[in-house]
Amino acid sequence: MRFKISLAQINPFLGDLEKNLVKHLEFTEKAIVEGSKVVVFPELSLTGYTLRDLTNEVALDADSDFFKPLKEISKNIDIVLGFVEKGEDKITYNSSMYLSRGEIKLVYRKMYPPTHGMFEELRFFGRGNSYKSLATDYGKVSVIICRDFFHPTLLSLAYLDNVDFVFAISNMPLRGLKGEKPQIQETVETASSTYTNFFGFFVVYVNRVGFDDGLGFYGGSFIQSPTGRKIVSAELFEETIVTGTVDTDDIYKKRTSFPLIKEEDRLLFVKNVNRVVGGLDD
Amino acid sequence: MIDLTLNYALVKKFIVKFIEEEVKSNKFDHALLGISGGIDSALVASLAVDALGKENVFGILLPYKLSSKESIEDGLKVVENLGIKYEIIDITEITEPYFTKEKIGDKFRIGNFLARIRMSIIFDKAREFDAIVLGTSNKSEIMLGYTTWYGDMAAGIYPIGDLYKTQVFGLSKHVGVPESIIAKKPSADLWPGQTDEDEIGTPYSEIDQILYLYLEERKTKEEIVELGFKKEDVENVLKRMFATQFKRTFPPVCKISQRTFGHDFLYPHDIFK
Repeated sequence: MRFKISLAQINPFLGDLEKNLVKHLEFTEKAIVEGSKVVVFPELSLTGYTLRDLTNEVALDADSDFFKPLKEISKNIDIVLGFVEKGEDKITYNSSMYLSRGEIKLVYRKMYPPTHGMFEELRFFGRGNSYKSLATDYGKVSVIICRDFFHPTLLSLAYLDNVDFVFAISNMPLRGLKGEKPQIQETVETASSTYTNFFGFFVVYVNRVGFDDGLGFYGGSFIQSPTGRKIVSAELFEETIVTGTVDTDDIYKKRTSFPLIKEEDRLLFVKNVNRVVGGLDD
Repeated sequence: MIDLTLNYALVKKFIVKFIEEEVKSNKFDHALLGISGGIDSALVASLAVDALGKENVFGILLPYKLSSKESIEDGLKVVENLGIKYEIIDITEITEPYFTKEKIGDKFRIGNFLARIRMSIIFDKAREFDAIVLGTSNKSEIMLGYTTWYGDMAAGIYPIGDLYKTQVFGLSKHVGVPESIIAKKPSADLWPGQTDEDEIGTPYSEIDQILYLYLEERKTKEEIVELGFKKEDVENVLKRMFATQFKRTFPPVCKISQRTFGHDFLYPHDIFK
């Protein structure tokens, strides 16, 4: 199956839900014009990143009326976005949402909010505790958020879950400008090349651009096929939308020519994980 | 020798974006900066022109009777080459009566006073032109605390605040800062013949590598010495850095209430973005 995915590499307004909603609708319209099946926005795309004490002020229930216009437009295109979630458990989460056919199909809570150095997410957000995936008409997808992408344990779950597309939505601040590319971009792309090669799924990586309080987000969004091919790459530092055509046959070809998944023994893996981390079988 | 060279084409692009966006986030269309004739302000002025357009950048030259002739000439070269609007205000008449009346001869008191008078004029002119003040401090001098607190450090944003002096030279060459400015020895020009390196006691090439190893490679003092740096240089840099920590942090606020700025009133700076 061949279809288009659009990457909305936006620069959100910090803490301004209404302005960001307008931006989402504009970029989604552009993706519809492109004929895309899915449009993907970055982490916290509805709010911006460095929210600090604004966090709870911009938190939304997943069933909030705020999402009505997005649900409406999702009748024409699937949408992946990021928002601050007001949890039913009264905890605030850094969450992603997948909308399709007028409905919210998936809400995932970031499992690894970084809290060290310049990052202070656990000061304001709770920690998600569930990996999630979703069956769509083009394959199984998982939506993970920024630092999650650096945890191969989480990506391993997507692999064992036989996921076809991992949407990694990010607010990755730039650091390291020595080489041809920002050093952090090299790190992300190295991870993606490893995941696509060994786990045999597509990586759809969408990073924001712009500055919040001096932290600059570099953009550089991309789609990488399980074959390793970069299908599309967005430029650095610029707000833009780029669209690439993916072919799900790449997944089958990769997994049959390099049949790691066939060799996999899930139960053996679980037994060994339990043994290593001191689980029930220990 | 650690190579601190950066990808200057990319650095330039990134800082230009930073200025463009942070000026707007702070609700300004214009920017203003003091032009000293030195490399830092020449570089920031050039980046600001790329970000905002020459018609939106203002330069203020603030010579004192002891400022070197080259400083004024080089300052004029910067504003004239970039084609930005500028003013020259000689601060001798403003400062001399105070020095005379208070019988101040201490060059450090005079130097700090000059830096703070310049700051006052820069902020006043910023008000006149409805402009944000661009800081021209670089990472080396900020980390050493080789700056006047609430003087040359006072600014709305710090475009080159995370570039070592070595990198300021590299980026300046890349953007085409006039050669005479790049070639001369860095100086605060607060008294005749003053140079940064004589006053600090360690050359910038050493300072920057020591800072880099300590800050970014997280080496200990002993490890840096083992790498071949002179013990007195390493100690000088680290001592200056920690002795001036107060310049890089918010002043302690005596917390009494339930919510206090400086402690737990944690809204972002760019709240109007």
